[in-house]
Amino acid sequence: MILVLFKRLFQVLVLAALQVMVLNQIHLFGYATPMPYVLFLVWLPLNSNRVGNMLWAFLLGLIIDVFSNTPGEASASMTLAALVQWPLLHASAPKDCVEDMVPTYTSMGRWNHTRYVIILTFVHHALFFLLESFSFFHLRDLLISFAASLALSVVLMLTFETLRHGK
Amino acid sequence: MNALSDKLKNWGHWIVFLILEVASLVLLFRFNAYQGSVWTTQANDVVGRVLEGRQRLIAYSQLGEANRQLTEMNLQLQSELDVVRHRLAELEHDSSATERAVASQLAGIHRIPAQVVSNSIRDRENYITINRGLADGVENEMGVVCGTGVVGIVYQAGQHYSLVLPVLNSRSSISCRLHDTEYFGYMKWNGGSPLLAFIDDIPRHAKIKVGEMVETSGFSSVFPAGIFVGKVRRILNSDDGLSYKLEIGLSTDFARLRNVSVIEGNPQFPAEPQNDEEEEE
Repeated sequence: MILVLFKRLFQVLVLAALQVMVLNQIHLFGYATPMPYVLFLVWLPLNSNRVGNMLWAFLLGLIIDVFSNTPGEASASMTLAALVQWPLLHASAPKDCVEDMVPTYTSMGRWNHTRYVIILTFVHHALFFLLESFSFFHLRDLLISFAASLALSVVLMLTFETLRHGK
Repeated sequence: MNALSDKLKNWGHWIVFLILEVASLVLLFRFNAYQGSVWTTQANDVVGRVLEGRQRLIAYSQLGEANRQLTEMNLQLQSELDVVRHRLAELEHDSSATERAVASQLAGIHRIPAQVVSNSIRDRENYITINRGLADGVENEMGVVCGTGVVGIVYQAGQHYSLVLPVLNSRSSISCRLHDTEYFGYMKWNGGSPLLAFIDDIPRHAKIKVGEMVETSGFSSVFPAGIFVGKVRRILNSDDGLSYKLEIGLSTDFARLRNVSVIEGNPQFPAEPQNDEEEEE
């Protein structure tokens, strides 16, 4: 139990540090900023606690918000993505999997896993950029940013997952 | 009791979800609408310290370049010093009244030196964090300048760090005037290049030259009059076609901002009748 707690805390800190120190500086073509910290939700096992997941996701979002002057944006988006994560994983997990399955492309199948990652990231990015439109509204720029960041995040996340679980 | 715990099991995550979302939205709207609490931004002490460490690391890795620039500057200054020494010898006997007046006006303005610990130029809304805060005398709404001109206005002052709203933020609005013709307007930035900003609502009859200097107007208590802002690059028509819109080439290179000073509000500013023109909306 306590081990899981530390593991989550470690994941939160590493993902937040990566985002704040490195990835926030990237603005590919002036539009795309990768936000692969949604990986935190991807790493949650099937039998994890739903409310706990949401609290962790909120915490991760809050840390990132505080460091990037976007109060509330990442935390709100991560909380929503965490809400979606639980039913989504239960719907897309294979019927015969173990109870504490950790979603990877080997445990879920390549296509299932990719779809799972894309939907989670889509939910997160959609709310993030919607909230951003409160402080900056320029429809064309926002849509380009949204699509470009989404694509970049998904590619980064899938690449990382593939490398991590590769042989 | 059983029914209650059943309900909680079914609805608990919705309740937690709502609480967290409401908390997030409160943070968002408070930050956007009003000078919200400092701890949710980069003006927070802990955050400031982490960012400062990161900035030091970057600065350290650029020491070689800094050294080269210093040497260059040293050479240049030495040659200038020679010239100045000669001139001084000629002029020593007479220091005119205007010179003394200018010097005393500059001396009347207290400035707090600060260093940039975090800076963005390519976001849609850029912010700068500096390593001085309330404890050093920095307060909200104070002007920030650097060697090459205007930087921005303090948005949220924390205890030891402050968040600055630079020119490169769509919420920034700085009252400027043209140096020669004295037409004035508000300088805005609407995304895009960090080297360009715009002044709207310059009347049609104004005779403006490309290359004319733009400086602060002194209409507010944030900046004294006459601080360099940039130069007119192009003269465009405004969106409604009724006035001119000036494209300003900014004099400050925000991408290399490192040392800045905060201007302490000072009653000795040239007091103009119009006030509070420069507040953010």
